[in-house]
Amino acid sequence: MSARELILSALRQGNTATAAGEPNDAGAIAAAADALIADLSLGRPRLGEGSLPMLFERQITSPKVAASLDKAASLADVPRAVDIYLTTHGLAREIALQPEPALTAMDWSGYHLHEEVKSDTIVAVGKALWGIAETGTLVFHSGPHSPTLFDFFPLHHLVVIEASRILGYLEDYVAASMGQPVPRNVNFVTGASGTTDIEGTLVRGAHGPRFLHVILVEDS
Amino acid sequence: MTTASSAARSSAQASDPFSIPFDERIKEALDNKTLKIAIDRTTNNARDKRAAAVAAWPGFAEARTLGKSIKQHVIDHLDHYLVEFEANALRSGAKVHWASTSDEACAIVIDLCRKAGAKSVTRAKSMLGEEIGLPHALEDAGITRVETDLAEHIVQLAHDRPSHIIWPALHRTREEVAELFRANHHKPQNSDDIESMVASAREELRGRFLAADVGISGANFLIADSGAICTVTNEGNAELTTTIPRVHIVTAGIEKLVPSLSHAMVLLRLLVRSATGADLTQYTTFHCGPKRRGDRDGPEEFHIVLVDNGRTKMRNEGLADMLRCLRCGACMNHCVVFRQIGGHAYGGAYPGPMGSVMTPIFNGLEKSHDLPQACTLNGSCQEVCPVDIPLPTLLRGWREKSWREGLEPQIVRQSLGFWAFGARHPFLYHIGTRLAVRGMRLFAKGGWIRSLPLASGWTRHRDFPKPAPRTFMEEWNQQQRLKAKG
Amino acid sequence: MDAVPLHNQPTVSDRPKVALYVTCLVDVVRPRIGFAAISLLEQAGCDVSVPQSQTCCGQPAFNSGDDDHARALARNVIRAFDSFDHVVVPSGSCAGMIHKYPELFRNDPVWLHRAEALAARTYELLSYLVDIRHFMPKDVTLHASATYHDSCSGLRQLGVMEQPRKMLAAIEGLSITPLPGHDVCCGFGGTFCVKYPAISNAIVDEKARDIENTKADLLLGGDLGCLLNMAGKLHRRGAATRVFHTAEILSGFGSGPAIGEED
Ligand code: SF4
Repeated sequence: MSARELILSALRQGNTATAAGEPNDAGAIAAAADALIADLSLGRPRLGEGSLPMLFERQITSPKVAASLDKAASLADVPRAVDIYLTTHGLAREIALQPEPALTAMDWSGYHLHEEVKSDTIVAVGKALWGIAETGTLVFHSGPHSPTLFDFFPLHHLVVIEASRILGYLEDYVAASMGQPVPRNVNFVTGASGTTDIEGTLVRGAHGPRFLHVILVEDS
Repeated sequence: MTTASSAARSSAQASDPFSIPFDERIKEALDNKTLKIAIDRTTNNARDKRAAAVAAWPGFAEARTLGKSIKQHVIDHLDHYLVEFEANALRSGAKVHWASTSDEACAIVIDLCRKAGAKSVTRAKSMLGEEIGLPHALEDAGITRVETDLAEHIVQLAHDRPSHIIWPALHRTREEVAELFRANHHKPQNSDDIESMVASAREELRGRFLAADVGISGANFLIADSGAICTVTNEGNAELTTTIPRVHIVTAGIEKLVPSLSHAMVLLRLLVRSATGADLTQYTTFHCGPKRRGDRDGPEEFHIVLVDNGRTKMRNEGLADMLRCLRCGACMNHCVVFRQIGGHAYGGAYPGPMGSVMTPIFNGLEKSHDLPQACTLNGSCQEVCPVDIPLPTLLRGWREKSWREGLEPQIVRQSLGFWAFGARHPFLYHIGTRLAVRGMRLFAKGGWIRSLPLASGWTRHRDFPKPAPRTFMEEWNQQQRLKAKG
Repeated sequence: MDAVPLHNQPTVSDRPKVALYVTCLVDVVRPRIGFAAISLLEQAGCDVSVPQSQTCCGQPAFNSGDDDHARALARNVIRAFDSFDHVVVPSGSCAGMIHKYPELFRNDPVWLHRAEALAARTYELLSYLVDIRHFMPKDVTLHASATYHDSCSGLRQLGVMEQPRKMLAAIEGLSITPLPGHDVCCGFGGTFCVKYPAISNAIVDEKARDIENTKADLLLGGDLGCLLNMAGKLHRRGAATRVFHTAEILSGFGSGPAIGEED
């Protein structure tokens, strides 16, 4: 017997011994699984008061997530917001720009742009698909416009997110992406890379970005 | 390094820790003073953070019950979900492999590495990898293995075994890590603060990520309805491990399934809060199949190795509850025994309460029968377990088996038998206790006994109070007689 | 677990017939706790008896995996306490063991029923006094500071935590200093402490240091096993902390000798 058959047959033998009387056809199992999460409020903390962008801002800048955040009135103001960040941190105006049309369409005059992110990239600017207020999470889907390594190579990761893309709970992301093809990678980014591996002390910038900066675009 | 910590090398580094008797492993751990300091620094922090996270979530208890039901549902219908997952994973372009044993699992991984012509592989921390002995298997196959999780990197440099499932290098103090990095890194830190050390490791490992031919990760969840696998990490090393090389291999226990993404979310919240006290770790990534058309990065091959290694046996033979485990580590952070002896003394891949339940499955009860015994059954592990695994009950289950199989020392069996015989005969019993009290009092000086034959386990470390002159029963009966006389 | 045992019905409120389960350690080492318990139960309006055929609850056998002996001892306890409204135990650990008897008789319907019935009317002393008898100590004075250790079985299995503190708060002159790690195991663990003395010692040593750091005069708790472990360690370390079972303090025996002090 193959390992696959061995495992499945052992499990099926066990089924009759342990789960007698349990529904065993696919439909009944799926119904049981759905029933478990029918009341979503059971499994999650309650969001506080306020609009989703407000809650998102509060969470992502809280000590737990510890990202920095700046606001831009519109997408067109993003390059200026990036400039403010670079200036405050004494960084050159040289960025790797995620090949996302909304970003590449902006006016980056005065910047030295790279289309690719490299292992030694200092600053990358990207755009998240969603934000999640509950956890202060930025969501990226890998694809031609969103290479995964943009989120992991740079030292400073600057992320544009539109206020209209902020969701409440983790499950709202599931609902929002329901019925769409599953991307190769879904990356939930919740703060800059960190490690507590030496004596439980949190240090940022372990392997991924040391700094995560969010540019929240209020009007889109 | 102190002499105490170099002594610790034997059970931290032995290829078969069970070849060292349990008592010696304990002694070695307790004699190592820096070990206790290191354990406290990490576990105290972890307990405080978890407590704060749970306190800030009034619905935690309900979520815990729900998490438990979800896992239980999956374990009850594991065959169904495995088949569903496999079909969806294949559809996403992944290759799915099945392994009944740890040897089979390692052989599959090695074979895939060879086919990929791999000289160097990066690994993102995976407890399943430790369980099946993958690090050794890779080395034996002559493949360069690069551990990329910071703690695993430390463990690799020190030739140690991991000592905790969330913080594998928990047994190393910062001073020891600093020394290791100075001895091994190309550009060691200039100063021994933790930030500089982390920066040095970052620099050391960057090139290794780029040079790897294969990346190997574990999985925290397998999502049945999409065929995706989920990794939950902090450092970003998992994504660098899985995105850069041409081949990504996932090794995962078959119990990691969840029906859907929504179910995974419920468990994620429980897992992360219980492990580190955060709401979500920095990086939660769902990996589904290989590189797609138009992708600028990502692996060309994506392999998932589904590993049984005793899990079907656990499910069918009374340890099904254990398969709910999310590997959060809370049980060990709260375990009074773990907090004294650390992870290495346990001998298996998994330490602490959950390790004591599972190690007899992986290594055999005969080798590891001490683990379920070395527990006060105080219940704090179950109390903090995010999926309410009855760890004390499962540990007692092993004790029952040990007893039946005669694995417990003869002296324990005889004394218990003697005691039980007396206790079944109340008349004899009460005579016995009267004699015992009088006998014990002979050893007392002042109110205390400093040394008592047959009880040296007690009196070596603490005093025993001198019993009252007469037992409660004697005293009570006399009072009753006096009362009756009026 | 179908039929609710009749004994469990609240039909015995005014003057329940209560059997005291003394426990081995109280019987042999510190009978005062037994007498303190009787005094408290009587003050709380109970008719107290001490069945003579009681012996060990079987916990050492049960925790060693020796189920045959555990069952034999359980039967003995079940028989001894058959005819009482309530069984009260000055130990969370032994009361907790009685609550586990049904596990031992999973495959024996007759004894299972009796085991469940006994479990349903068995209580740990301090929680019984507060939860069932709504008892509060009156006119007890003790000028001292005390710290409190919550023993594990009582705390996690039976929910004993607030009850002793509530009663102690009614004692005049007694102040309570919280013990950091009050809910962390002291390392006793029954047979554990003699099977793995080195680990047990490391645990109780840490516990003793925490107790000493509170600077309290007294250490109180509800389980003699744990108290002996901590008292023995404190004494070996040369600490001056005096150790009592909570029942002794509540019944006014606090003026007498602490554990390890001569009469
Ligand atoms: S047994 Fe429970 S507490 Fe321990 S690691 Fe598993 S999930 Fe966490």
